[in-house]
This record gives sequence, structure tokens and C-alpha cells, in this order.
Amino acid sequence: MADTTKKYASKSGRERTSRILIYVFLTALSIIWMIPFFYLICQAFRGESRSMVTYFFPKQWSLENFRILFRETEFGHWYLNTLIIALFNAVLQTVIVLCVAYALSRMRFKGRKLLMNLMLILGMFPGFLSMIATYFILKLIGLTSENSVPGLILVYAASSGMGYYIAKGFFDTIPKSLDEAARIDGASRSRVFFRIIMPMAKPIIIYTIMMAFIAPWGDFMYASLITFGHEKAYNVAVGLYKWLDKEHLSNYFTVFCAGGLFVSVPVTALFLGLQKYYVEGVTGGAVKG
Amino acid sequence: MADVKLTNVKKQYDNGFVAVHDFNLEIKHEEFIVLVGPSGCGKSTTLRMIAGLEDITDGTIEIDGTVVNDMEPKDRDIAMVFQNYALYPHMSVYENIAFGLRLRKVPNKEIHKKVTEAAEILGITELLGRKPKQLSGGQRQRVAIGRAIVRVPKVFLMDEPLSNLDAKLRNQMRAEIILLREKIRTTFVYVTHDQTEAMTLGDRIVIMKDGYVMQVGTPQELFNHPANLFVAGFIGTPQMNFFDAELKKDRNGYTAKVEGLNVKVPKHIADALDKRESVPEKVLLGVRPENLILTDSGESIGASIKVTEMMGSEIHIHAELPDGKNVIIKVQIADLDDDQQNEMLTRHGIAFRIRERTINLFDPEDGRNLAVSDAAAVPTNE
Repeated sequence: MADTTKKYASKSGRERTSRILIYVFLTALSIIWMIPFFYLICQAFRGESRSMVTYFFPKQWSLENFRILFRETEFGHWYLNTLIIALFNAVLQTVIVLCVAYALSRMRFKGRKLLMNLMLILGMFPGFLSMIATYFILKLIGLTSENSVPGLILVYAASSGMGYYIAKGFFDTIPKSLDEAARIDGASRSRVFFRIIMPMAKPIIIYTIMMAFIAPWGDFMYASLITFGHEKAYNVAVGLYKWLDKEHLSNYFTVFCAGGLFVSVPVTALFLGLQKYYVEGVTGGAVKG
Repeated sequence: MADVKLTNVKKQYDNGFVAVHDFNLEIKHEEFIVLVGPSGCGKSTTLRMIAGLEDITDGTIEIDGTVVNDMEPKDRDIAMVFQNYALYPHMSVYENIAFGLRLRKVPNKEIHKKVTEAAEILGITELLGRKPKQLSGGQRQRVAIGRAIVRVPKVFLMDEPLSNLDAKLRNQMRAEIILLREKIRTTFVYVTHDQTEAMTLGDRIVIMKDGYVMQVGTPQELFNHPANLFVAGFIGTPQMNFFDAELKKDRNGYTAKVEGLNVKVPKHIADALDKRESVPEKVLLGVRPENLILTDSGESIGASIKVTEMMGSEIHIHAELPDGKNVIIKVQIADLDDDQQNEMLTRHGIAFRIRERTINLFDPEDGRNLAVSDAAAVPTNE
């Protein structure tokens, strides 16, 4: 008896030590990960100089950088551009991805396999391979430079169907007999999709919206090419990056940090607001289980 | 009125596999048809073609005189109950049942009336507010049935509706389906692999194998006059016994010689044999285990007992004939007292004779019943 108690005690003691070690390790890691973010905040509120400095905490806290950001630069424009692009893309891409994924999951048509394989293979090539061609096509129809916002929405949304894979995997887990029951009940394909499948697909809808919002929000490559130096049409990534040029850096570094802070706000908010839908599944009870 | 007519229906999948060959059947109004067969025999495919969930490769399906080959499921005015229930998980029981009516733009008041009525018939009134995941298997199946009956469809399709339930619940639900059928007179097509369900529910049974229809008939016809060896073996437990027999004709009619025992061929078979162009000499004689009668005197076949199964009110004796053939005999023991029952269970050898009236003769070549004129041959696995 005493023996087992001792064993038990020593086991729990060992468990506690290992747990402490794990927490120490994780805390250390998270501090390391947080440093750049803290640094960004500190620089954004620094009042004494606008160039890079060699110390961490500002000597003088101020909101001056934010005033410059919105009053003296085009940042407001960039922010609005990015927001418009990201919102439009969030809607368009989500609709497209979900429709494509549902069709590929449920319908059987000639060339379905070929199409899926083709999209998978094409998806493995980096997107910038087609950048030059895309640019010239957009230029032909007048969607570059000052018209970059619709142009970029088109670029992002047009290829979004290729990202069907995860959503299709999700739809595959919803039993087909649900669709069939609804079709016999009198629903058309689209009604089945909107009334039966969509209410069950919340987690994947949320996931798709987040991905569709975040990708254009942080995109640099396409945005910098298609705006082609037209400052008013920049998105935040391109605009802010210009301030890191040698000529601007000494004057704009703290402003850059203030902008960076603003850029991170919607993404963080989106994630915090939607994460609770992200984890729950709702298919329980549909069929025998 | 809703009769269903299938004419030369064929289903071939894209990979070339033929699931259903040339299926012909006329289902009368308010008839309860059961499609039964081993898995992969094409019974579910046939049902799904009637429902419109599978395309028809060839032939026509008519509901109520209208060809529905290219009609969407929703326009066929049918209802279907699925094996896995297929309830909409995000809707309450009430909404599940009401869904079909809502799509048909039925006024709310009427929906309410119909849903409560259906719920009452099925005894699920107190469950109407719940979500499917809060229900037991039997309750879910009731909701699925409720969803189907609420619309009063022309044809009611059921795809193995009871096979996900445990044995006790299955018996109970089977009885309820019989009662339900009395309440809602409509045409039923029911798919199952369970012969008990088929026998107890069906007005007529369609037995299928490898995509071919083996026999269509009432439970009694199938049981007493199976069209071929497959049907004979599929219906009835334990399985029918088959003996090699020699068929002879003399002045008094036909005699089949089985294991040295002369079995007089009953008149209905003899008449059928006379109508045939040729009668084979070697045949298979089929007789059900309950029609082998233990006897102590007179002409009989002797066998040694290998296994005795006590089933309660009857005993299944697995015995071996001198030539090594196995035979199963079913003995009713309800009239015997305990001592007699024990004596029966401890026997080593038995002698039995054949109840002549009940035999069936089959052609050993193609498995057809010699007395059934349009019997289907047993398909060989190609």
C-alpha cells in the first residue's frame, strides 16, 4: 500500500517537473515571438526622432506618427484600397471556392478527375510565373495603375477556384444521402446547397472567408506590379514598403511602424471574432452515429 | 392512383459494370413491393433509379403513366427513407418534417396541421422541438418516416430502413411499418437484404441476384415454388436441402429416386413435367428442413447426427448421409415433454422420409425449377 502511494507520489512529482519545464519553455518561446510586435508598438509611439534608433523603449511617447500617417501621407488611400480589395475578395472567393468545392464533391461529370488534377498541379507552380502575362492582359483591358483596385480584385478572385481542396474535403464528409433526401423533398441543387449544406458548413465558410481576406491584405508582389508606381493605387504592403527605401527610411521609420500597427488590426480582429465558429462542427445527428 | 412500371430497365456504370440487367416489373397501386437479394444484387440501384437519384442507362420507368426517366427527383412526387436516416442536423424535428412542405409553398397553418398529424401517427409529438442528434436510432428513423409520409407521396421508397437498428427495435419497427401501411394507403417499394422483412412486409417480393431478377411473386409462391436454386436457397432458414435424384416415369406418373428412397412426384409437378418438351433424367430434389419427417418404420433414409441445435420450440438437426452429404432437419418439439426432448437431443442416428407434397425439382444444369414455366436461370459469375 505504502509502496504504491510512494510510486504514485513520485510519478506525480515527476509529472509536475516536466510540466514546469514545458511551461518555462513555452513562455520563453512566446516572449521571443512577441518581441518584434512589442518593438513595433514602441516605435510607433516614439516621439523623439523618426529614424531608426539603437534602443528599444522610446524616450518620449507621442501620437505624432499617427497624425503624420493620416494627414501627410497617402496611407489612408492605401488602407482603403486594401480594405476594398480584401472585402470584395473575401466575398467573391468564398462564394467561388464553396461552389467549386461542392460541385467537385457532389457532381459526377466528364473530366472531373482531370480538372481536379490539373488544378492541383497548376497550384503547385508559384503564382508569379504568370505575373507578367497577367499584367499585360490587365493592361489591355485598362485595369492597371490608377484602376488597380478592380484589377487586383479580378486577379485574386479569378484564381480562387483552385483553392477548392480543403472545402471539398469538408463537403466529402457530409453524407450524400442528405443531399438526396433534400432533392426528393423537393429542393433543387442550389437550394440543397444553400439550405442544407451551407448551414452545416459554418467552420469551412469561416475558414474560407479568413483565408480570402488575409491573402490580398498582405499581398505585395501582384500589388506592386499591377499598381506600377501609381502611388494612389497602392495597397498597404506596397505603400509601406516604399518607406523602407534609403531615401525615406530616416524620415518615415516610426511612421512605417505606426502603419504596420494599423495593418495588423483587422486581421487580428477577424481572427478573434471568428475563431469560435472555426472549431465547432455541426454534422452530429445527421445520420447514424 | 399511382402505379409504377419498369420496362427493360438497365443500369450500367461508367466503368462498364452492369448493376441492373433488363428489369421488368409492374407495381400496382397501393401495392407493397419488396426488393430483396444479397448485397451487390442491384436492388438499391433499382430503387434509386425509381427515385431519380441514378440515371437510367436503358429502358423506361413510368410513375402513374408518365415516363420519369429524365425527371428530377423533386418532380416525381415520391418520398424516400434512407438507411442512415439522412435527417437535416441543423433543423429541429418539426422543421425536418416540414421541409418538404415548405419547399412546396404550403401555407404555415396547413404545415402545422400535417406535421402534428404525422408526428401523432408515429408517436413523436413530444420530440418535435428537438434536434436530430438528441434522438435515439429508433426515434431518428421515425422522424425520417415522418418526413416521408407528411407529403402523401405517390410512391413511398424505403432503402433498408431498419438495418441500422438493433434486433429488438427492428422487429418493433417492422410491425409499425405494417400498421403504418394500413394508415397510409400508397404504393411502397422497400429494399432489404433481410428475408424476414421481405416475407412479412411484401405483397409481392422481387428477388435479385447479380443484377438479374430471379423471381417475382407473393411470399407464399416464393417459399413454396421457388423458381430456381438461388431463390430456393435464399428464402427460408435453415436452407432448403438439395438431393441428387433420378427421375423416372411409369404408368402411375413420375417417381424420383433419392438415396435409394422412391419419392412420388406430386401431381402439380407431374403435370408441369408432362407439358415440357424434354424432362431430364438427373434432377435436384429440393425439400425444406421442416418437410423431412423423422420416422422409425417404413421406407426411409438413414443418417448420422453431427450437430443438434436447440432453438427452443424446435431442433435443427445437422446430419450426414452415408455418402457424406449433409442434410438439415427441423423438428418441432413443442408436443414433446422434457424426457422426450432430451432423448431427441442425445440421439446419434436418425431415419427420415420426405413429405412428397412439398418437394421441388430443379434442373441441375441451369438451376431452374422444372415445374415453374418462366423460371429465370441462375446467373453464373462471368
